[in-house]
Amino acid sequence: MLTSNLTNVMNFTGVLTVICPKKGSLVHKLIMVMKLTTLLLIITLLHASAKSYSQKISLNEKNTSLEKVLSQIKNQSGYVFLYTDQNLVNTSISVNVKDASIEETLNACFKNAQIGYKITGKNILLRATYPQTAEQENAPPPITVKGKVVDETGKPLMGASVKLKGGSLGTQTDTEGRFTLSNVPDDGILVISFVGFTTLEVPAKKNLDNIKLVPLASDLSQVVVVGYGTQKKVVVSGAVSDVKGSELAKSASVNLSNSLGGRLSGVVAIQSSGEPGGDGSTIRIRGINSLSGGNTDPLIVIDGVPGRAGGIDRINPNDVESISILKDASAAIYGSRAGNGVILVTTKQGKSGKPQFSYDFYYGLQRPTRVPKMANAPEYAEIMNELQIFNSGLNQSNWNDAWQALKNTGTYTRPDGSSINAAFSPEAMQKVRDGSDPLRYPNTDWFGTVFQKWSPQQRHNLQVTGGNDYTKYLVSLGYLNQDGFYKNSATRYKQYDLRINVESKVSKYITTSLNVTGREENPNYPTVSAANIFRFIMRGRPTDVAIWPNGSAGPDIENGINPVVATTNQTGYDKNTKDYLQTTGKIEIKLPGVEGLKLTGTASLDKYWDRQSTWRTPYELYSWDKTTLNNDGSPQLQVKNFYPDQFHTPNLTEKNINELDINLTGIINYDRNFNGHAVSLMAGVQRQTANSSGFTAFKTNFISSQIPQLSFGQELGQSNGANDVFKSARLSYFGSANYNYKEKYIAQFLWRVDGSYIFPPSHRFGFFPGVTAAWRISEEGFFKNNIHFVDNLKLRGSWGRMGAEAYYGGALKEYQYLTLLATSNNMFNGQPVATVYEGTVPNYDFTWEVANNTDVGLEASFLNSRLSVTFDYFYNLRSNVLAPKTGSIPGSAGIPVYNFPPVNLGRLKNSGYDFSVNYSDRAGDFNYSVSVNAGYAKNKVLYFDETPGAPDWQRATGHPTDAWLLYQYDGVFKDQGDIDANKLDYSGLGISNSSLRPGDMKFKDVNHDGKINGDDKIRMDKNGTPTFTGGVNINLGYKGFDLSVLVQGATGGLQKIGLTESGSIGNYLEWSYQKRWSIDHPNNLYPRLSDSNSGATYFTSSASDNSYYVINSNYIRIKNVELGYTLPKEWIQKLGLNSLRIYANGINLATFDKIKIWDPESTNTSGQYYPQAKVINMGVKVTF
Amino acid sequence: MKTTLKNKNLYLLVFIMIMGAACKKDFLNVAPPNQLSADVVWSDPTLAEAYMNDAYKGLINGGLSEQMLASVSDESLFNHTGRGIDIVNTGNVSPTTTGWIDDSWNWDRMYLYIRTCNTAIDRIVSGKNSISDQTKKDQFLGEAYFLRAYYYQQLLRFYGGVPLITKVYNITDDLKVKRNTYEECVNFIVKDCDEANKLLSGKTMGQGRATALAALAIKSRVLLYAASDLHDKAKLTAKVSGIPDQTLPLLCYTSGNQADRYRLAQTAAKAVMDADPRTGYKLNLSAPVSASQGAINYASIAMGGGSKAPNIDPAGASEIIFAKYFLLPNYAVTPNLYNGPNGYHNWGGNSPIGLLVDDYDMQDGTPFSWSNPLEKADPYKNRDPRFYATVLYDGSDWKPRDKVSGNVDPANQIQTGTYDLMVSGKLTSFSGLDTRNSSLENWNGTYTGYYYHKFTDPDPNIIDQNMPQTIPWPFFRYTEAVLNYIEASIELGDTGPAVEWLNKIRFRVGMPAVTASDQTSLRNIYRHERRIEMAYEEQRYHDVRRWLIANETVGRKVTIVTVTGKFKSGKTQSSPYHYDPSVYDYSYTPSEYNVLENRAWNNALYFRPITRDEVNKNNLLIQNPGY
Repeated sequence: MLTSNLTNVMNFTGVLTVICPKKGSLVHKLIMVMKLTTLLLIITLLHASAKSYSQKISLNEKNTSLEKVLSQIKNQSGYVFLYTDQNLVNTSISVNVKDASIEETLNACFKNAQIGYKITGKNILLRATYPQTAEQENAPPPITVKGKVVDETGKPLMGASVKLKGGSLGTQTDTEGRFTLSNVPDDGILVISFVGFTTLEVPAKKNLDNIKLVPLASDLSQVVVVGYGTQKKVVVSGAVSDVKGSELAKSASVNLSNSLGGRLSGVVAIQSSGEPGGDGSTIRIRGINSLSGGNTDPLIVIDGVPGRAGGIDRINPNDVESISILKDASAAIYGSRAGNGVILVTTKQGKSGKPQFSYDFYYGLQRPTRVPKMANAPEYAEIMNELQIFNSGLNQSNWNDAWQALKNTGTYTRPDGSSINAAFSPEAMQKVRDGSDPLRYPNTDWFGTVFQKWSPQQRHNLQVTGGNDYTKYLVSLGYLNQDGFYKNSATRYKQYDLRINVESKVSKYITTSLNVTGREENPNYPTVSAANIFRFIMRGRPTDVAIWPNGSAGPDIENGINPVVATTNQTGYDKNTKDYLQTTGKIEIKLPGVEGLKLTGTASLDKYWDRQSTWRTPYELYSWDKTTLNNDGSPQLQVKNFYPDQFHTPNLTEKNINELDINLTGIINYDRNFNGHAVSLMAGVQRQTANSSGFTAFKTNFISSQIPQLSFGQELGQSNGANDVFKSARLSYFGSANYNYKEKYIAQFLWRVDGSYIFPPSHRFGFFPGVTAAWRISEEGFFKNNIHFVDNLKLRGSWGRMGAEAYYGGALKEYQYLTLLATSNNMFNGQPVATVYEGTVPNYDFTWEVANNTDVGLEASFLNSRLSVTFDYFYNLRSNVLAPKTGSIPGSAGIPVYNFPPVNLGRLKNSGYDFSVNYSDRAGDFNYSVSVNAGYAKNKVLYFDETPGAPDWQRATGHPTDAWLLYQYDGVFKDQGDIDANKLDYSGLGISNSSLRPGDMKFKDVNHDGKINGDDKIRMDKNGTPTFTGGVNINLGYKGFDLSVLVQGATGGLQKIGLTESGSIGNYLEWSYQKRWSIDHPNNLYPRLSDSNSGATYFTSSASDNSYYVINSNYIRIKNVELGYTLPKEWIQKLGLNSLRIYANGINLATFDKIKIWDPESTNTSGQYYPQAKVINMGVKVTF
Repeated sequence: MKTTLKNKNLYLLVFIMIMGAACKKDFLNVAPPNQLSADVVWSDPTLAEAYMNDAYKGLINGGLSEQMLASVSDESLFNHTGRGIDIVNTGNVSPTTTGWIDDSWNWDRMYLYIRTCNTAIDRIVSGKNSISDQTKKDQFLGEAYFLRAYYYQQLLRFYGGVPLITKVYNITDDLKVKRNTYEECVNFIVKDCDEANKLLSGKTMGQGRATALAALAIKSRVLLYAASDLHDKAKLTAKVSGIPDQTLPLLCYTSGNQADRYRLAQTAAKAVMDADPRTGYKLNLSAPVSASQGAINYASIAMGGGSKAPNIDPAGASEIIFAKYFLLPNYAVTPNLYNGPNGYHNWGGNSPIGLLVDDYDMQDGTPFSWSNPLEKADPYKNRDPRFYATVLYDGSDWKPRDKVSGNVDPANQIQTGTYDLMVSGKLTSFSGLDTRNSSLENWNGTYTGYYYHKFTDPDPNIIDQNMPQTIPWPFFRYTEAVLNYIEASIELGDTGPAVEWLNKIRFRVGMPAVTASDQTSLRNIYRHERRIEMAYEEQRYHDVRRWLIANETVGRKVTIVTVTGKFKSGKTQSSPYHYDPSVYDYSYTPSEYNVLENRAWNNALYFRPITRDEVNKNNLLIQNPGY
C-alpha cells in the first residue's frame, strides 16, 4: 500500500518534469515547491492509507433484513450495492464476521441466499440468478438491452447518452427516448446521462422500460455554502448568489477579483487599473453602504476564515470550488463586519478514486483596452502657435491678424512695435507636417514608442486529486507570469502557488481536514510609479524625439523622467515578494449517542511575509542640440546622467512585513428531522488575532551600483522606521437556528455577538441578529396540483442588523479611544532628533455602525427548471455611521482633520434591486444557456456632519455619497460680441471681466446673483460609481465544442476628462485638439485651450470642476469570450489521456461607451494610471 | 485502541479550543505597538523634549516654500498658474476662494501647533506631569510660550484679532469661540514673549530653538505692527471705509495713543539690540565698504552661514536671531530649484519684477531712472550692491550649465533676452537660454526678465536642478530689530538715532550715508531702505499694509523688462552666445505685463478672509470687512 502511494507521488513528480522541460528558474522553483508537496503528501497519505486499507468489516446480525445488513456494510466499507429487484434484499439473514474483507463478508451474508455478486470498482452488483460465489462465475452470454429514457414526468428524452460503464459501447436515445444496445455483458452497468439531468447507473437487463432521469434542477438539489455551513439551495431563505469555480476558471483573469463582474447579481467589480500585481477589482455588494471614504468593502471569508491576508485576488481560480455572496441578513452571522455583505470562498476538496491529474496551461497576449489618443505633431504645433497669441496679452481684436501673420510669416508685429513669434514658424510647421526632417521635427507617438504591441502572459496549473472513502486529497500547483505593456518592461508579475487540501475520515464519528496554501506573489515594477509613467507619456511632446536612431533614449521630459527609460530596469528596480502560508486544520466530531450532534473545531494559522526592495541607480538620457553632427552624419548626442539623489549614488529602500494571524473556531451543530420538521441548530465561538511587525530601511551613498545590499550604503542620509506595525483582536460568539417543514415553510434565525479591539472597553461588544424566512408556494397542494409549468416558487424575506467597524480615510480607525502620541523627527543644532506628537484625539464613547438590511425576494423556476428567475428588492439603512466631525469641529480647536476620532453620527440609506434570469435547454447535440443578471443600487446620505452654510443646491445630504459638485457649463464666449453681451461677474473665479477672452467658458448663474462664484456649483445626483451593473452570460455546447460569452455593462456613473498636463510642458489629448475654440474656428461649444503650466484659464483651474469635463461612464463590454473543443475520447485514449480540451479566450475584447478616451472603468481623471488589459489566451487542459 | 485514544485527544483539543477562545476577553485590550501613551510622555524629560521638538513644526520651512509671500507683493511674480496667487493679486479673494495660503500661516495649522503648545503649558503649569527636573521644565515651558507667541503673531498679522485659545479641547467640548480684539491679542503675545524671555534667559539652547532673545524679537515685531497706521482706528477708517463698528476692535486699537504704542515698539526694539551681544553682522561700521564688499556682506547675511561658496563669509550667521535651519539630506530645501532659471532646468518661480529692480538705487545713493538715458542704456551697472545679491539679470554671471545640450553657454551667464547671432554663418535671432523660447526648456522661463537670487546658494557644486541646499530661513535677524527701532524713532521724531542706524545698515552694503534729516524724508528713505534690505523676507506684504500704502505699492501693475541685443555695426558673434557689450548694442525696454496677473488692489485685502467653512463651523466668528 505504501509503495503504491509513493508511486503515485513519484508519478506526480515525473509528470511534472515531463511537462515542464528545463526552462531555468521556473522548473527549479516548481521542483522546490514539489519537494515540499511530496513530503506533505507522503505524510498525509501514509496516515490515511494505513487506515483505509486495513479497515475490516465486522457484523453480528441475527435474522435481520438483508437490506439493513447491506446498509451497514455500506457504512463500514463505502461500497454501494446495485440491484434491480427489491425482493432480493427483503430476505432475512444471519451473519457474524469480524475484521473480515468485503469478499468474506459477502460470502457469509449470501451463504444461504440465492444471491450472487460482482464487484466493479466501488459498486457491488447483486443478482438473483447468479452462481453463489464469484469464484465460480462462468461468464453468461452477452445480451441486447432495449430501453426507454424518460424525464420525471414520463416524457421521453431524445438524445440521452447510454453507455456501458468501463467500455466503449454506447448509443443515444431516439425521438421516442428509445435505445437498443447489443452485445452488453450480462453483468454490465449502463450509464445513462443527459444534459441537465442527474446521471444514472443501472444494471443491464434485456428490457429497461422507463428509465427515469431526475432533472439536475440546478436550484433544487444543489447545495450552497452559507455562513458556517452549507444549505440545500431549496431551503435557503436569504439572498445568496453563488458561482461555481468551474465558471470562474473559464476565461480566468489573472486576478480572481476581476472574474466576478457580470457573473453574480448585485455584485459590482470595478477594475480601475490593469497593472500586473495591482490589477484587482474593487468589489461591492449592492452598492455603497457607507459615507464618503467609509468602508464599502465586503467581508471576504476564505475556507471559513474571515478577513484573511491576501484576500481573494490571488487565489488560483482552478482551486475554487465555489464562491457564495451573502447579500442580506444571511450575512448577519458574520455580525460586525457583515454590513457590506460577505463573500465566501470555498476551495476544492479531493475526489475519491484513483489519482486523477489535470494540467491546464494557457498562453496569452495582452494590450491596453485603451490608451488616450494624443495630438500628433502638426496638431500640437498648431496649438502651440495659438497659445503664443493667447498668452501674449494681445487684445483679442488683433487675434485674427496675429494668427494670419504667424501662419504666413511666423512673426506678428503688435501695435506697440513688439513682436509675437510663432512657436513653429511656417518653415518649421511644414517640416513637422511633411516629416522630412524626423530628427529635428519628429512626429512621435509616445504610447507607440513605449508600448509593446502585445505583452505575453502564461499560466500553468497542475492538479492531482484522488483518494478513497477515508481520505481524499487535492494538490494543486500553479505558476503565473504576466508581462507589462512596456517594451523591456520592468513591470512584471509572477506567482507560484500551491494548495494541498486533505480530508480524512478518521472513524465513523470523526472527520478531519487540513488545507494548506502556500503562495508567492512577485510583483516587479520600475522605480517610477505607473501614474508617473503615464503622466510623462502624455506629457511627451510629439515634436520631441523619444528614441534616437542609434537606440539611445531621448532627453529628460522633466524631473529626469523619460518613459522610454522609466519603464525599464535602467533606473533600478522595485521588487516585491509576498509570501503567504495559510493553514486550516479542522476536526468534525459526531457525538455518539446523540443523533445529529456534531462538534467542529477549526484552527487556522496564517503567515504573511512581505519584502520590498527599491533600488535606484543612476541612468543616462541623451539629447541633441539639433545642430552638431558626427562624421557619419548622425546626430552628436550629449549624455546626461541622472542620479536618484543628491549624493549622486545609488540608493536602496528595504521594507519588510511579518504577520501572523490566528483564528480559532469551535462550533456545535444539532441537525434532526422529526417527521418533516427539520431542525438545525448551531452555535460557535471564534477568536481572531493578528500581529504584524515590520521595518523600513533606507540607505544611500552606495559605494557601487553593483551590490544592492544595505550594508554597502553609508550612514549619511540613511533612514529607518517601522512598517505596518499593528495588533488586532476580535472575539465572537455566533449561532443559528434553522427550521423548515417539509421544505415548504422555512425560517432561520442568525446571530452574532462580536467584540472588537476597535472600540472602547465599555462599548466593545455588539449584538447582531438576522431573521430570514421563506415560503415555497410551489410545495402547497393547491399550487402543485394546478400549476404544472412552475417547478419551484419561493417567496423570501429577511431582516438583519449587522455592523461595521470604524473606517474612513482609507483605514480602519484603531486605538481611537486612547490618547496616543506618534513619533516623527525634526532637526536642531545640525542633528536630526526624534519628536512625538499627538497621534489621536480620543473619543471615549463610540461603538458599532448599525446596518439594518431588509430584503424581499422571489425565486421561481419553470419548464422543468429550464427557466429560472430570481428577483430581490433590498433596503439598507445604515445608522450610527462612524465618521469624523468634519463639519462642526472648527480649525481653531487645533485638531487636524486626520486626527478627528470616529463619532457615531451618520445615517444613510441604500436601496435597489437585483435579479437574475437563466434559461438553459438543448436541442439534440446542441445545448445552450443564457443568463442575465443585474443589480441597481443607489444610496442617499440622510445625515452626516456637513458643514453648515452651504446653499441648498450644494448640500451633500440628500444625495448619494461623494456626489459631484460642479459648475454648470453654459457654452463658451464665441467672440467679443458675446463677451460684451455678458452681464455676469466672473471675478469670483479669480478673473476680472475685462480679462475675459473669446473661447472662455461660460457658467450658469445658479443663484441669480449676477456673480459666478463658488455658490454656483450644483451638487449632482451622481458620482463616479455606476448605479446599475449587469451581465449576460451565454453558454453554447455542440458535441465537443463549447462557447461561452460574457457581456457586461454599467450605467449611472460619471467620469471626468480633460485635466491633462498640457501646453509647453506636455501634449494634449486629441479630443482636446478636436474640440476646441480656435481663431480659425470660433464656436460657442468648445473652450479655448490653455497652457496648464502657465496661462491656465479659470475654467481649467479655479473652476475646473465644471460639467463640461464630465461625461457619463455608461458602457457595455464584451468581457469574456471562450471557445473550447474537447477532443473525442477515442482519439485521445490512445495517448493515455482521459480528456483533452483546447481553448481560446478573450477578455475585454470590445467596449462600447461614450468616453472613448480612456477605459470607462477608470477612476483616474487625467489618464495617469496603468490601463486595463485586453487579453487573448490560448490554452489546453488535459486530464489523465 | 490507538484510535480511541486519539479520539479522546481530539475531543480534548476541541474543548480546550472552545474554552480557550471563550474565556479570555481582556485580550481585546490591544495596545498599539508603535505609539506612546500621553502620560508616559509627560513622565520622561526626554520624551517631553521630543514633544517640544514637534511643536516647532508649525514653522514649516519658513518662507522657503515654492510659493513665496514675495509674489503676493511688489517684489516678484510667480510664474506658474493654478496656485491661487493671481487670485490674491487681482483682488478677487473671497471666503470660498481664498487664494494662496501658505502652511506657515495657515489658520488650521497654526491652531494645531498652538494646541501642541497649550498641551505643554497645561501639563507643566498645572502639574500634570511627573518630571522632576525644573530646569528642563522651564525650558519646555519657555519654548511653548515662545512658539505660541510666534504662531499667534502669524495669525494676527494676516487676519487681525483671532480667538485666543489656551485650552486643549476635547471633541465633546463646546468648540465655538469668539475672536479676541486686536489689542487683546497683542497683549497676549507680548505676555507670552515676556514669559518665554524670563524662562529661557541664561539657558543655552541649540541652533534652531527658541531663545530669550528670539522672544524679544517677536515682541519687537508685534509691538511695531501694533503701533502702525493700519491698527490705529482713525488712520484705518480714514483709508478704508465701511468697516462695521463691531469689527473695528478686531482689527485695530480703538483707544489709546499711537505715539505711546510707538514708544513701546521703540523700547522693545532697543531691548533686542541691547540684548544681543553680537550686535548683528558688521553693523558697527562708520563708513561704507566697497561696492563689491557690500554685495558680499549682504550675500553672506542671506546665506546665514549655510553656504560653502567662495567669498561667502560664514560669519553672516551672526545676523540671525531665530531661523529655520536645514541639513542634508533629509532636512534640506530646494528654493534653488523652485526659483532658478529654466535654462538650468529650474522652475523660475518667484521672479523679481521691474518694480523691485527699479527701486534699487544707484550705488551713489541716487535713485535709478529709466528716463535717464545713460542708466537706461546700461541699467544693471553701478546699482545698490544688494541688487547683485538679490536678482539675476540678463548678462549676470551664474553657475556653470550642464553640457547636455552641448557647450551652449561657455560664459555661464544668465540669458533673458533675444540676440543677434551667427548660426552656421547665418544671422539669426537667438532666444536666450533662460527665456520662454529657450532651446533647453521652453517652459518655466521668466516673464519678468529677471530671476530670484537671494536665498540661492551660489556654490557651483550645488546643481540647483536636483540638489537641495542648506541656507537657513531667517524668521528674525538682527537688522529687523534695528529697522523696527529706526521706524519707531522716526515716527516719534527721534531722527538722530534713526539716521545713525540707517547709515550703519547702508555702510555694511557699501551705500553712502543718508543726507536727509526731516521726518517725512526720513520716513520715505527708511521705507525704501526696509524694502531693499528685507526683500524676499516676508516683510513687504505686511509693511505695505500696516503703512496703509498697499494701493500705491502692491496694487501696481507688474512691470518687466525686455532685453534685445543687436550687433554693433561691423561686429558679429557666432554661436554660442555670450554677453558682450563690445559686440552688441543692448536695449532694455520696461513694460507692463498683465497676462498672468492683472494686479489690482482691493481694500478688503488688508486682512485675509476667514474661510466660509470656519465661520460656519464656529458662527461666533465675525468675518473680516469686505468679504
